[in-house]
Amino acid sequence: MLELKNLYFTVQESDGISGVRRNIIDAMNFTFEKGKFYAITGPNGSGKTTLAKLIMGINPVSQGTIVFDGQDVTRLTITERAKAGIAYSFQQPARFKGITFRDLLTIATGIEDENKLLAMLSRVGICPLSFLDKEVDAKLSGGEIKKIELAITIAANPKMAIYDEPDTGIDLWTIGPMVSLLKKELAENRTTTLVISHNKAFLEAADVILIIDAGKIVYHGNLKGALPLLDDLSVCTYRDSCEGDRDAGCFR
Amino acid sequence: MLDALDKSLLKTVADLEGLPKGAYNIRKNGKLLSRQVSANINIESNAEGTGIIVKIKSGTKNESVHIPVILSQAGLYDVVYNSFIIGDDAEVTIIAGCGIHCGSSEPEGHAGIHDFQVGKRAKVTYVEKHYASGDGKGRRTLNPTTKVFLDEGAHAEMELTQISGVDEANRLNEAVLGPDSLLLIMERVLTDGEQTAVSQNNIVLKGAGSRANMISRSVMKGNSRQTFYATMDAQNKCFGHIECDAIIMDNGTNETMPSLKAGHPDAELTHEASIGKIASDQLTKLMSLGLTYDQAVNRIIQGFLK
Repeated sequence: MLELKNLYFTVQESDGISGVRRNIIDAMNFTFEKGKFYAITGPNGSGKTTLAKLIMGINPVSQGTIVFDGQDVTRLTITERAKAGIAYSFQQPARFKGITFRDLLTIATGIEDENKLLAMLSRVGICPLSFLDKEVDAKLSGGEIKKIELAITIAANPKMAIYDEPDTGIDLWTIGPMVSLLKKELAENRTTTLVISHNKAFLEAADVILIIDAGKIVYHGNLKGALPLLDDLSVCTYRDSCEGDRDAGCFR
Repeated sequence: MLDALDKSLLKTVADLEGLPKGAYNIRKNGKLLSRQVSANINIESNAEGTGIIVKIKSGTKNESVHIPVILSQAGLYDVVYNSFIIGDDAEVTIIAGCGIHCGSSEPEGHAGIHDFQVGKRAKVTYVEKHYASGDGKGRRTLNPTTKVFLDEGAHAEMELTQISGVDEANRLNEAVLGPDSLLLIMERVLTDGEQTAVSQNNIVLKGAGSRANMISRSVMKGNSRQTFYATMDAQNKCFGHIECDAIIMDNGTNETMPSLKAGHPDAELTHEASIGKIASDQLTKLMSLGLTYDQAVNRIIQGFLK
């Protein structure tokens, strides 16, 4: 349902003088199938978020094509892609002064009716009712805003939902329900689900693991096959802080 | 008594469909148009005949008073002095506002000078909206002044809004806070074209345990200019915060000068200020929810000035 054909995202190196160009996404080819759960992982700076932003239309494609549901969306705007059924849950969600969670839900769904909004909130599950009229501003904690971001993406009923590190700032008790929620949405609505994460819970839940390194897909397949490679890549850049705790709960 | 234009202006500045319930005083083109008092709220003209004195009895609960001003007479500059005396323990909402309709090339303007004496533990909410309309090229000026004196334990919440169409505005807000009193000011100003707006705020935290929070939100469209000054002068153990954010659109310009003065070792004063265009991550987020670029800009501004 989503095809990446020889996809590139190229930038000028930051020194600006040498004229060296670097491919952040480098000749990527892949087809995501409808109704499957994909976990995308890989070292920091490997191009995971860049790929998500290319799919959503936030970054312009340098070369290659993106086909969504049989339509070439490579040159479509963010708005057009949203209307075509792609949704993106940001790694670092925007904060607004004067815009509430309710406002964002209404923008995403067109629903203003109180009962329907409450029904939506119970479907999303992880957000308490008290969130509804909270402003999505700097006063929210990192975990709260990530829950809101995820809820809005689900509420938009996309054909394809991309979640960029949805577990950042989320407490351990919420990650399990979050995984179940995404799986439920997938089962009920056949939402093609892409989760960028290093978290064990998401990697275990996925049908397909994609490992990205230096702008290329270096592995796709099941988790078992991915484990040796994850080890090799030394994906973890946090080992110092968790001190290699056996039960740190992740494959970073 | 109210013509179609009056009704339209009243609707915009005071959310009124026709005459309000409860106490009110409507001033049109420099003269009293209509007045009603209630058992707890008295309104009378002051001795000089230059304005009104509104007295709210001690212990009054959940009452409101509307005092809108409408101007549609070419060449008139209307100055009014209004006093509000709010008794101890009273809870009241005061809805002021000025609507100008300018249909000619003559200038029109209004200066509302309001002072508030808020009694012990009394709570007052003051809502003021300024708006100007009309096809005329005459300059529309609004120069409001509010002076607030809060007695022990008093609360005042002030919502000051300038919606659109005002060519020139010079606002002065002054407040002196008694012990354990609380002042919240929310100011929203939208300017466009060649309009200018200046807001000066001087807040004196005099009593122990007094608290003040001043929030200012400015949007400058076209070539418009806004200047914001706010001073918190802490003379006792107190808490004060200034938050002033300005969004620049088109070629608007802004100067923001928050100033904190701590004259007491236990004073706690903070401020945050920002000036800039709409953040691109906000636009991207709303576009990713299906809004176009223009719709996203409008929604962000609407929320910011809400």
